[in-house]
Amino acid sequence: MPMDFSTYLTQINDALNAQNGPGLAYLLRPTSPHGKDLVKGFRSPTAATLAHFKGSILSPWDEIAIQYVLICTHIARLRPGEAFKEQSQLVSLFFRYFIDNRGWTLPALFSILRDLRDLAHDADWHAKVHSEQSECMVEAARIVAKAFSNCMTDRNSPPEESRKWGVYYVVGLAMKSYFKVKRISLTKNIIKVLENNADIPPLENYPRSHQVTYRYYLGMLSFLNEEYIKAEQELTLAFYHCHIAAHENQTRILAYLIPLRILRGHLPSDELLYRFPILADVFAPFISALRTGDLLGFDRALEYRQARLVELNLLLTLERARELCLRGLFRRVWVASAKGTRIPLSMFHCALRISGMTVEIEEAECLVANMVYKGFMRGYISHEKQMVVLASTNAFPRLADRPSPFAFM
Amino acid sequence: MSSTASASTSKPAAAKVAEKPKEKEAHQAQLGVLEEDDEFEEFPSADWDDGQTDLAHLGGAAPGSAKSGGDKLWEDNWDDDDIEDDFSVQLRNELAKMNKGGDAMEH
Repeated sequence: MPMDFSTYLTQINDALNAQNGPGLAYLLRPTSPHGKDLVKGFRSPTAATLAHFKGSILSPWDEIAIQYVLICTHIARLRPGEAFKEQSQLVSLFFRYFIDNRGWTLPALFSILRDLRDLAHDADWHAKVHSEQSECMVEAARIVAKAFSNCMTDRNSPPEESRKWGVYYVVGLAMKSYFKVKRISLTKNIIKVLENNADIPPLENYPRSHQVTYRYYLGMLSFLNEEYIKAEQELTLAFYHCHIAAHENQTRILAYLIPLRILRGHLPSDELLYRFPILADVFAPFISALRTGDLLGFDRALEYRQARLVELNLLLTLERARELCLRGLFRRVWVASAKGTRIPLSMFHCALRISGMTVEIEEAECLVANMVYKGFMRGYISHEKQMVVLASTNAFPRLADRPSPFAFM
Repeated sequence: MSSTASASTSKPAAAKVAEKPKEKEAHQAQLGVLEEDDEFEEFPSADWDDGQTDLAHLGGAAPGSAKSGGDKLWEDNWDDDDIEDDFSVQLRNELAKMNKGGDAMEH
């Protein structure tokens, strides 16, 4: 039987009395089957025609129920902009209830914020198609950030029932929204609040889905700010705690974790690349070039993939990894010279030439000097004799052994 | 990736150039997940245990510790002294030439 509005109100009331968060979330979701029923039940509902339902249940739930009907109607009539506006209003009304209640309400909060973001996405897309301006996602991010404050400020609930159990999920949504509209720096304030707040439970105690999403975005933010140590830490934890069935999310994490680990001298194993063919397609040429010191191959891979790497914000990182490939090339000169301690500079010059880098000998000298300076090679250059003098032991320290691999980047 | 694959990396330049368009095509087709507009997805469940993650294969090793530390997903020891390819041949030839030339100069 199709649901009518009074049944809907009763069910909301029941869910509130039972403190049934998931049930409430279901009732507020525009895609639930009763959404269509309610739209059919009213001809052309407006705020005015529904106003007489005010006061029929505990405030603000009477108004929330009315908003719900308006939202479903706008969605059914393909008006995503209006639907978004009404959903924003629904969320604001929900906040009034939320701030006086405990963590059981979180499933409903998460659900209405997800719908808010989805509607913002649809509204912005719809506007774009019609060549109109629309900033719904920016507005959604602002509202999600407000939800974050409302979770943080729970000072009354007992610890296990605190709204604070919602902070990381909500921050994840906020970061997702800010990334979407490319206003990444706006996430910094939220993160600062989180990191300076001692009385929220440790991240490890939150559900894994919250941990992984938060760490992914924090890792991405650090990556884009070139804070590589932190980026690698967060993305490593995100990857290892991610559900293995969430293959696409694991792919997204590894797209940034792999280049970071390469810079550290850790190459993804064949097994790892086999599991993620899309990433193998992007990185395999670089990895095979690194293994063989094939500078020519590395440069070609950079050239072929340039546009894609720019799009993924990976070009800079892989350009930095080129230095590791140069170290591999010089190492091969050393191996070809029977690992001698005195190798003419002209040999390095020659290896560069074979690799497609036609440079003056002075530049070759400069490249070798730079390798020595950065600790990729141990030794010195006798400029007078045009000779590279290498340490008799550990002339090319393992890349993974460098104490601060990101230092000269 | 494997040593057999890496041995073929210094093919003649012409062969590489010929591969270029094909490689580009495949490349565009496969990258759906990493499109610019793409975003991190909602997980279908809120929580799960170690057995459903990549922590499971670690056997207590630190995540990301590489093969030497017990994590088989990463390699931290990949310097290879025995690569045989066109490049090593060219390099040795040049070295031999240079040694000759060097000797001649010293005399």
